[in-house]
Amino acid sequence: MQKPAARPGPGLTRRAMMAAGVVACALSIARQRPAAAAGGLSFGLTPVFLDSDIQLLANLEAYLERATGGPVALVKRRTYQEITALLLTGQLDAAWICGFPFVQHADRLALVGVPLFRGRPLYQSYVIVREGAPARDFADLRGGIHAFSDPESNSGFLVTRCLLADLGATPDSFFSRVFFTYGHRNVIRAVAAGLAQSGSVDGYVWEVMKETEPGLVGATRVLRRSEWLGFPPVACLRSAAGQPGVSALAAALQGMAGDPLGRTVLAELRLDGFSAAEPALFDGIAAKYAQVRESL
Amino acid sequence: MPGRLRGGIAAWPLAVKVPLSVVLIVVAAAMGLSQAVLSRLSTEQENHLQSLAGAFLDGLSTATMPAVIRRDVWEVFDGLDRARGQYSGLRALYTVVTTPDGQILASSDPDRFPTQTAMPSALENRFVPGSLTIDERAGRAWAARDLREGGILIGRLFAEIDITDLLAVRREVALTLLLVNAALTVAFGAVGYLLVGRMVHPLGILARHLRRARDGEVVAIAEPEFRRVGAEFSDAFLQFNDLVRALEERKNLAARLADEEKLALLGKLASGMAHEVNNPLGGMLNAIDTLQAHGHDPEIRRRSLDFLHRGLAGIRNVVRATLVSYKGGGDPSRLTGGDLEDLPFLIQHEAEARRLRIAWQSSLPDSVEAEGGTIRQILLNLLLNACAASRTGGLVRLTARLDDQDALVFVIADEGPGLPAPMADILTGQPAETPPKGTSGLGLWTTARLVARLDGSITLGRHEHGSQVIVAIPLQPRRPVDHAA
Repeated sequence: MQKPAARPGPGLTRRAMMAAGVVACALSIARQRPAAAAGGLSFGLTPVFLDSDIQLLANLEAYLERATGGPVALVKRRTYQEITALLLTGQLDAAWICGFPFVQHADRLALVGVPLFRGRPLYQSYVIVREGAPARDFADLRGGIHAFSDPESNSGFLVTRCLLADLGATPDSFFSRVFFTYGHRNVIRAVAAGLAQSGSVDGYVWEVMKETEPGLVGATRVLRRSEWLGFPPVACLRSAAGQPGVSALAAALQGMAGDPLGRTVLAELRLDGFSAAEPALFDGIAAKYAQVRESL
Repeated sequence: MPGRLRGGIAAWPLAVKVPLSVVLIVVAAAMGLSQAVLSRLSTEQENHLQSLAGAFLDGLSTATMPAVIRRDVWEVFDGLDRARGQYSGLRALYTVVTTPDGQILASSDPDRFPTQTAMPSALENRFVPGSLTIDERAGRAWAARDLREGGILIGRLFAEIDITDLLAVRREVALTLLLVNAALTVAFGAVGYLLVGRMVHPLGILARHLRRARDGEVVAIAEPEFRRVGAEFSDAFLQFNDLVRALEERKNLAARLADEEKLALLGKLASGMAHEVNNPLGGMLNAIDTLQAHGHDPEIRRRSLDFLHRGLAGIRNVVRATLVSYKGGGDPSRLTGGDLEDLPFLIQHEAEARRLRIAWQSSLPDSVEAEGGTIRQILLNLLLNACAASRTGGLVRLTARLDDQDALVFVIADEGPGLPAPMADILTGQPAETPPKGTSGLGLWTTARLVARLDGSITLGRHEHGSQVIVAIPLQPRRPVDHAA
């Protein structure tokens, strides 16, 4: 079985290396601090978010600026890792990250707000296959090519990684090949096109895209749904929690459902609003993280 | 028209030959031009396709190279997938990136070319790195590019391109050329036909009049016809009309001369007839005197009355023959025995003047289908000629018979020296339209024309004591009598 010659490691054995990478990356990025306008708020967005809609981003920025009363710079990066690094190094005031980085850095991060999807701050991870594929359960995927979203993604990597750990396998041993697409939409594209026989994807993204891009999502079907887990939160450094800017951001997020422009943004995101939450919401993800670590 | 086309291309009318030549030239030019256009179009299309395919592969190479170096399946696929439909001038059916060992890293069509499988060798053979392979029948082109980083081969990029649109354009151009050329050819042919037809129309008029003239109907070209033709043909028409006028004059002259000849002949006959009537008159008057003096003597009365009877009978025969010849009588389309028996009386005067003996021999049926009047005139002319030519006291013989080919044969023999050569030519040659100059030979010319009109022939010969003229006239169905002859 051919293995990729050079790709981001699918396992956590390289966590130390990744941490070093995060720091290096952050130091590099620090020299070109994103547009955290003087006196303004810099807000990072990860690919977990439906980040392809320019109009949505414009509306979100307009709402946040109006709600917080100051300029807001939305900062986007290709990978979770970049956004996490920027957040951890104080380059961002807050960021919409995934639950997995949040539990990884729970000692340094604080919750600003958690989105409500269908009334709850919860979502699922899906393992999807191509529509019409013969696989009936996860075991049928053995030997195929699998598409992950991002190594820092809970739904797009950790949940499936944990499932493999339960089976006593690793991605490399279970699948003939794995690759990262750095975007949940890309996972759906890879599976729909037949590039990969299966993929790990954010259930929220899949459900929303089923409405927005039925042609693409209709070419896939959900093979396995995970248990309900904490929805990717908006987080900030613990040291920044309570600062006026972050507090204003938290208030703006939680007041979004009460504002017409905010409701427009929420409608586009297919979310009901944002709520305050306790870190315990992410215990399920933390448990999977721990389980995977123990399996190594 | 098919009838007019017989006799080889040279015999075709100008109105067909010229437009046909124009059509052939246009077709040849159109074929050459079309071939050049299509060849140039094909070359341009191939060059254009080569450029497009090069740009396409360049773009893909640039987009996927870093991912190929990393063996990043998704990034390579994403690059290939996004490139689909981005090149409006080029329709790639699929693109494939392989590792140097031929394993597929990613393709735009993972179903057909799954990752981690080998590129089908049959397909791989179609690709020649750096050049474009084109299969016009399949409507496909294949382009390949080696992906190198620092001179090291890191992968290969393949693309199959649908060129049916280009071929369709070529077909459309070919069809357009064909239709335009066909339309031009038809148009040139039609215009050529009309123009040449218009140009040669005067020739047609001239030819028609010449044909009518050949058939005996010599008619001048009417004045309105002159207005629609150019100067050259107008001049030719004038010449033709001059010719018609000259012919008319000759014809009139000939008719006049013939009339004069007829009058001369009539005068001759009248004098002959007067002579024939006068000859017995003296005797008859003597007979009457004798009757008056000795009428009481039965013998003398009988002899005198016999004498008177013979004299009056001779006069009656002469008068009757003349009446039959010149006032008509009987059926002019038939020749009867009576027609010939009268002839000796008509030449009796000439014969007696020269003390000629007349021998008469006929084996003809009582009636045959031939123009009796015309034949009588022919024979009378020849007999008079024979009487004039024969030596004094000679024998003039007429023999009439029907030969095996149903032709009437008359032999007029005399004891003369024969006709002089110019006269013989007039009699036996093709009779001219106009009579010979002067009055000499007019009778022979008239005879020759009459024989020719009856499709007969005249042959001159010699016999033991002199010369002879043989006239052969085929029996023929009834035909109108030419009273003017």
